[in-house]
Amino acid sequence: MVAAPGKRKTDDLIIVDADIHVNDTPAALTPYMTQPWRKSLEVMGGGTSYLNVPGFAPALKLDPPIPGGHPSRSVHTPAEMRQGLDELGIDLGVLFPDNLLLFAVLPNIEYATEISHAYNRWLVEEWLREDNGLYGAIVACPQNPHDSAREIARYAKEDKVVAVYLPTAGVHPLWGDRKYDPILGAAQAANLPVMLHSVTVVTPQFPYQLDQFENHWARQMLSHAFAMQANLVSLMHTGVPARFPELKVGFTEAGIAWVPYMIWRMDKYYNEYRRMIPFLEKRPSEYVRDRMWFATQPIEEPDDPRDLVATIKLYDPDGSRTLYASDWPHHDFDHPKGLLKLPMSPEMQRNIMGASALELFGIPAPVRK
Amino acid sequence: MAEHIIGPVAELPPGSHRVVKVRNLEIGIFNVGGAFYALPNICTHQFGPLCAGTVNGTTACSAATDWRFAWVREGEILTCPWHGMEFDITTGRCLANPKVRVRQYPIAVEDGIVKLTL
Repeated sequence: MVAAPGKRKTDDLIIVDADIHVNDTPAALTPYMTQPWRKSLEVMGGGTSYLNVPGFAPALKLDPPIPGGHPSRSVHTPAEMRQGLDELGIDLGVLFPDNLLLFAVLPNIEYATEISHAYNRWLVEEWLREDNGLYGAIVACPQNPHDSAREIARYAKEDKVVAVYLPTAGVHPLWGDRKYDPILGAAQAANLPVMLHSVTVVTPQFPYQLDQFENHWARQMLSHAFAMQANLVSLMHTGVPARFPELKVGFTEAGIAWVPYMIWRMDKYYNEYRRMIPFLEKRPSEYVRDRMWFATQPIEEPDDPRDLVATIKLYDPDGSRTLYASDWPHHDFDHPKGLLKLPMSPEMQRNIMGASALELFGIPAPVRK
Repeated sequence: MAEHIIGPVAELPPGSHRVVKVRNLEIGIFNVGGAFYALPNICTHQFGPLCAGTVNGTTACSAATDWRFAWVREGEILTCPWHGMEFDITTGRCLANPKVRVRQYPIAVEDGIVKLTL
């Protein structure tokens, strides 16, 4: 592993990043596609803009451009990613896609299935072949659960495949619906955690009907946050944690402050409606504490940082269920320093910054050279 | 500790329950399949009149039921009328939260008379 130049405060801390993004252009995936869908990707090419590729990452972009602001970034090669992580002081990272954040909105089942195969092969062959601290989440295909289950089994033994990414933006029905049981069962059998990841999207699907908001700021407030809350409830309401007792579930890119709210709320109404969901033999909060993990980015930034640490402790007293994530190289990435400045115990810091992720993803602790 | 006569067994047949006042306490008396139980008429949640609720069974669903809903514990489950919290009459335990339990007063039948010790 390439050491970052200079001595850092974090030199003794293993920093694992639960959520970083590769730029998966249609051109990049084209060699991994079969006809006729290869033709479709050839038409789209590689110079397409981020998260806005008709037929590939279809987005309803509603805002007028306003000059200024900061540039968007994307990462195209493992070397580029390694350099970015080194500059951030991050040891290891788990790769998620850019454009395939919108994967669940693709309606053509055969085409979506082919894209999922191509992305997974591309990821493993071009990003996960070297000993460079990069690990990956293969994409699940909610459009074709049975095929997706076979795909997960196919990659179960790949050392550097450490998770199954569940496309969450625009997914319908939500994760938890029984049609997805083959995917969850395959992930459980492969001992791979499933990671929910959403993105700001406007679609007719619940809870992403954000067309009434005048600007992206408002849609950004709600899209990821509602996605995680709605999918957590959906997983609970069909008894996923009871029906898949070994399955580990991660939630990304919605921060963490929503977690205590939701577990308190689920517990309160479990008191009243337990008889509707009797497969939950424990309180929802207990299933959350046992087998659910939460990635920090975009970390909340209250005026008093002690409030944030107290909030994490409400659902995770020792940090063992909380995962540092940068979301690098995206516009709202969190530098490790944003977390390292928080007033928490060394144990909690060690867990959140890396140990929790090593455990969840089954990654051996890196040896410092 | 004193014994308090609740009444003849014949007036509390299996499946029935009633709330009685003993000293200044309201207590629910339950006959579950011939066994008697006495619980305070106050819910642990927000102090609702627990024993004014209905006695019923409840649902179960697990690998043991092949993940199909089953109807179980008929006559053993008390549901608070205020917010629907379920309690197991035979143990006092809350079904949604086993850490929560309502107390059970000693109750017995002697010579056909139901007697509560308080």
